[in-house]
Amino acid sequence: MTLAMTLLRRLEGPQTLGRGPAFWTAFALVVAAAIAYPWFADGYTVGNTAYFFCWVFMALGLCLIWGYGGALSFGQTAFFGLSGYAYGVLTLNVGAAYGFTLAALVLAVALSAVMAALLGYFLFFGRIGGVFLGIITLSVTLALERFMAQTAGPDWKIGAARLNGYNGMSGMPPLTVPWFDGDVVLFPDVALYYGLLALLIVVYLALRILVNARFGNVLVAIRENPERAEMLGYDVRRYQLAAFVIGSALAGLSGTLYTAWGQYITPSSMGLTAAALPVIWVAVGGRGDLTATLIGTLLVLGGFQALTIYGSQYALVVMGLLLVVVVLAAPDGLVVAGLRGLGRLRRREASR
Amino acid sequence: MDLLTHAFTFLYQIGDAFSFLVLSACGLAVVFGMMGVINLAHGELIMCGAYVTAASTRAGLPLPLGILAGALAAGAVGMVMERLVIRHLYGRPLDTIVATWGISLAATQGTLILLGSSMPGIGTPLGSFTVGGYSYSTYRVVLMVAAVAVLAGLYLAFNATRFGTLARATIQVPHMAEALGVDTRTVYALTFGLGAALAGLAGGLYAPTMTIVPTMGTTFIMEAFVTVVVGGADIFLGTAPAALVLGTVRALLTTWQGQLFGQIGLLVAVILVIRVLPRGISGLILRERA
Amino acid sequence: MIPLLETRALSKHFGGLHVTNDVNFALAPGEIHCLIGPNGAGKSTFFRLLLGEYTPERGQILYAGEDITALKPFARIRRGMSVKFQVPGIFPSLSVAHNLEIALQHHLEGASLGAEIRRLLAFLNLTAAASDRAGNLSHGQKQWLEIGMAISLKPRLLLLDEPTAGMSPDETFATGEMVQALNRDGVAVLAIEHDMAFVRQIAQRVTVLHVGRIFAQGTTDAIIADERVAAIYLGEADAPPLRSVADA
Repeated sequence: MTLAMTLLRRLEGPQTLGRGPAFWTAFALVVAAAIAYPWFADGYTVGNTAYFFCWVFMALGLCLIWGYGGALSFGQTAFFGLSGYAYGVLTLNVGAAYGFTLAALVLAVALSAVMAALLGYFLFFGRIGGVFLGIITLSVTLALERFMAQTAGPDWKIGAARLNGYNGMSGMPPLTVPWFDGDVVLFPDVALYYGLLALLIVVYLALRILVNARFGNVLVAIRENPERAEMLGYDVRRYQLAAFVIGSALAGLSGTLYTAWGQYITPSSMGLTAAALPVIWVAVGGRGDLTATLIGTLLVLGGFQALTIYGSQYALVVMGLLLVVVVLAAPDGLVVAGLRGLGRLRRREASR
Repeated sequence: MDLLTHAFTFLYQIGDAFSFLVLSACGLAVVFGMMGVINLAHGELIMCGAYVTAASTRAGLPLPLGILAGALAAGAVGMVMERLVIRHLYGRPLDTIVATWGISLAATQGTLILLGSSMPGIGTPLGSFTVGGYSYSTYRVVLMVAAVAVLAGLYLAFNATRFGTLARATIQVPHMAEALGVDTRTVYALTFGLGAALAGLAGGLYAPTMTIVPTMGTTFIMEAFVTVVVGGADIFLGTAPAALVLGTVRALLTTWQGQLFGQIGLLVAVILVIRVLPRGISGLILRERA
Repeated sequence: MIPLLETRALSKHFGGLHVTNDVNFALAPGEIHCLIGPNGAGKSTFFRLLLGEYTPERGQILYAGEDITALKPFARIRRGMSVKFQVPGIFPSLSVAHNLEIALQHHLEGASLGAEIRRLLAFLNLTAAASDRAGNLSHGQKQWLEIGMAISLKPRLLLLDEPTAGMSPDETFATGEMVQALNRDGVAVLAIEHDMAFVRQIAQRVTVLHVGRIFAQGTTDAIIADERVAAIYLGEADAPPLRSVADA
């Protein structure tokens, strides 16, 4: 009971924007609207929103690593792709019966966590930081893309699953939940939407608790001044590694969900362009705050999709320029800047 | 194949990998070493050099002049980039790398919109020569010579010219250089321009050997990154030896398991090296020497 | 009695320059000891060796009899060392109270954590600034905040690198009183200091470092009276500290 109380108190704190009854009322309203949303929209639009949700986990993970921990990881898509492929290989071999897809999801995410721990050990225990961390993680995802792109031949298969080179894998089953009167298949429409919404709320709240707990305190301390954090008796390397593993597992979760959503995964999901997108979402929203990242990611994804009507290359030009402008003009992110502006405005109103 | 031919093939492969790594990385290394800035649009500057070289060669310019045009064009683009973006982000290296990624993305896709998904190639000149019954591309040997010439040229530029002296002074003690009347902004702009021109040169030199596509920058950047990471901040004590070591690793792995393992083995080697040498080879050499 | 801190033949060089040369040093539990010496004497390097930020080429460092030469900095801190740097090391974009919370959360939580933060804020004269960004504090306030973070760890040994740099005489005196108050609770203090008035106020023993070696060691009065010590300072281009003592 006391543990539950402690955790609930950690939902608010110095590391997250939004507190008090006003914020949580707004939060409840947004959740209610999200629950009611499928009644007012068609199946395709709902499935499309579910597609947006798939990506948010990777953004939140990057926010934890970069925004809170101050470590620039440009290779989150490596774990996205790794878990996506792992889900494909597992389910194509075993199938979807007895809820195995859920086990495959867990295994795929665990694989990313293990790989992140291995890579992170070399990076953080080798005291790699700053720009080098960014370019090494980026190199990792590019190398994985190259590797998967050349697996076109019939030799490249794991069990029954062909890797298929540049065209990628397809035909894996969607997530399936075993139920009393038969399995419930989470096709990419209303069913998957509710599943993802629930998962998103859980992950968002859990991360809020994490960053406001001792762990989060140490993480921001390392971002602010790693030497001082070490001289307060914290093993900086362990905390950075832990954040990297959690963030990368979330990227893996995104990759698994994306693969289950569209029933395909390709090497280009780990390429240079794909790797840039999470950085854009997080930077534009505001990397220093989970809520800002969440809102920013959904807004940018929506905007991106609206622009792709004119062709995806136009949308990507806009995304690239948007990133440059945000870094130059609003380095803390547009959502954070907007919220701050609102706060100032309200204070001015109050003082009048 | 007798032993001598084996040895020649292996040396040729090391030389080929070495020149690719040196030429890909030197522009990135100059900018990183002098300004502490990593330019993620480096690959797109290489692409720019390749496009200009290919276009001008097809328009009738001799290839060497076409390559020069490619280098100059990339250098000019780099100076504009510096003026519009980089200059406003000095002292914020992490933001610089993010902003240049945005430029990279916009440049790749913009090129795709304006110039289409590929450009007709110009073919590799100079034909081939044979050693022990195997044929080798002569142009690849030219590239090896070019890599060494670029290193020598940079050494002269930084040690024997007024720009080099001013640049080194600016890097070591910026406020002192400023007090002595050096316009540090101009030095930074020229350094960035030089790095960009070197990228363009790499693009121009490799333009005859590859398909010219908007995403061709990615072919170079991973190698450029790992060379700079292993080398550290000094181009002569870092980039060159790193390229030699990594070139050998890549040639060995390529001979043993093929092209792909050469590339992936390179990355694994790098991750192992940085665990031991966090400041790269130049960090090691400088510490021993200091 | 086992010294709280001991170095044996500790040596560190950068290239040909011996910045710490065969230093044998011992600090008794509960002692206040000042480390002085002209610029470039190797005082800060000695501190970084003690903290584990530099690795010595030769020699040993012992803490309460345990060889800690190979330990990482954080592990030394956990054994009961704590440090305040010369340049204030704080978390600039976090609030003042939050800075203290990060230091205190090792051994406190909940209501007692809040109470201790309030107590420390009052002690450091920072109550009014509790929710300000630490980066916006004045230089002196940052120094105090860092001292507050250093003592939050409840150390047995406090290392202070020029704790009074940039402080007014009044602030310096108050800092001295605070150090003495901590010492009465059993904390041993090793301080690098240039301000001889401060040294006289707090030090029980003084060690003079010169070109990486221990040049002289003794009671404060004996060191101040030592003409050879004055001579090495006068040999320096900018060495105000001992001259002010000569004036006094």
